[in-house]
This record gives sequence, C-alpha cells and structure tokens, in this order.
Amino acid sequence: MERTPELNLAMPNLAIALHTERFDPMARLGAWHKLLEQRTSNSAAESLFIGRVRPTASDDGIALEALELEHYPGMTEAQLEALARASCQHHGVSSCLIEHRIGRVLPDEAIVLVAIGADRRGPAQRCCQELLEALKHEAPFWKREWRTDGSRRWLSGNTPL
Amino acid sequence: MADPSSYTTAPIRLRLFAALREQAGWSERDWPIRDHAIQPNHPPTEPLTPRQIWMTLQLEGSLDTVRVAINQQFAAADMPLQPGDELAFLPPISGG
Repeated sequence: MERTPELNLAMPNLAIALHTERFDPMARLGAWHKLLEQRTSNSAAESLFIGRVRPTASDDGIALEALELEHYPGMTEAQLEALARASCQHHGVSSCLIEHRIGRVLPDEAIVLVAIGADRRGPAQRCCQELLEALKHEAPFWKREWRTDGSRRWLSGNTPL
Repeated sequence: MADPSSYTTAPIRLRLFAALREQAGWSERDWPIRDHAIQPNHPPTEPLTPRQIWMTLQLEGSLDTVRVAINQQFAAADMPLQPGDELAFLPPISGG
C-alpha cells in the first residue's frame, strides 16, 4: 500500500522519501496531488522526471540483473533537502516532491521521481532539471551494476545529460 | 601521573562507502585523536585533517577523486578535525 507523502513542515509543499522497495511513481504522484489539493496548493504548471533502471550495463551493453543503490543514511536526506530548498528558492517554485530508491533495483523499475509545481512552465522545468542534476552529483548515492554474466561494477559517475 | 596513552579523547569515527568500503574491507572504524587541551605539557602539533588520515590509510586512488564529508556535510580535505567528528570518504557519486 502506498503511503501518503509526508510534508516537510519547515518548508511548505516539500516532501522527500527514500524507498527500500519498489515504488510506483504514478501512484506516489497521485497521493502527492491529493495532498496538495487538500492544501489548495495545486500549481498551474508542473514538471516531472521519472528515472528508471536501464536493461543493460552502461559501458558494454551486457544485460543487467539489477542495479544496487547504496547511500549515506542521514547525509542523503539532509543533502536532498538542502538541494531542494536551494533550487526551489532559486526558481521561486511552489512545490517539490523527491522520491528515490535505495537497495536493489530491477531493470525498468523506477529509481527517482521529481515533481516540481510552479505558476509557470519555465520555472517548473528549469527547477526540475537543476534539482535532478544536483541530486545526481551532490547527494551521496552510489550505483553498482549486477550483470547477468556474474560480474559487478561500481559506477564512477553519471550518464551524460 | 597518568599514562600518556590515556590522554586521548573521543575518536574520529571513520566511514567508507561503496567501492572504497570494499577496497578497504571495512565500513566504519574509530581513529584515535589526541586532545592537546588536556595534555598541556605536550607541544601542540598541526591539527589532524582528512588528508592526513587518507594518506595513512593508503587506499588506492587519489584524494582528488574522493569527496570528504565531516559530520555528514561536504568539507575540504584540509579542514581540521575535532574529537568526536564523523569523517567519511566518498567515492564518485552517482545518484538519480
């Protein structure tokens, strides 16, 4: 059963969640919209990003069994919140949802969901892209590919934009 | 007179993640630190820094490719450490 996103009381309309198990981004988005509706905080513009695990390894195309996501408990949550606050303030947006997987993620499963609400499409889209890039490079997550040939490899960076 | 080895205070808590953790074979350990404030007869030395600990650990790779976090915040490799700090060496990040 999907839980209702928990709002960050220090910043209205900011919610961040880490999932140890598979999550349905559309169901989470539905719960998020419902919560914003209750607060009469729905936005005229919304920009979304959903990232999923590729079926093949990033360098040689060998089929992936899974992608493991390790993180730094405590620092990850704090860093995601700091990045979200900075991006939201910079672009003047009204709502921000970040959901991120940790643990073993299977091909095609969602890794990340970012949803930004704003009064105009420009700030919503710019904030969504900026925040996504920030969390890819500034939040302490690490990916390891588990390949079907039995090999494993820690990734040392992100795929090109 | 107290044993000088007792002139220690809260250690640095060292943490490694992902590839660094596997390379070292451990994820957390304590790193003793001397507190010169409680051993006034000892001459002061340079403050302990993440760079000094990294060099002592002798892990593969350069500190240039590793990020440092002190008490769960990114920090410079030459930031002086305080007793009880949590110090983490972070390999290249790949989130999202």
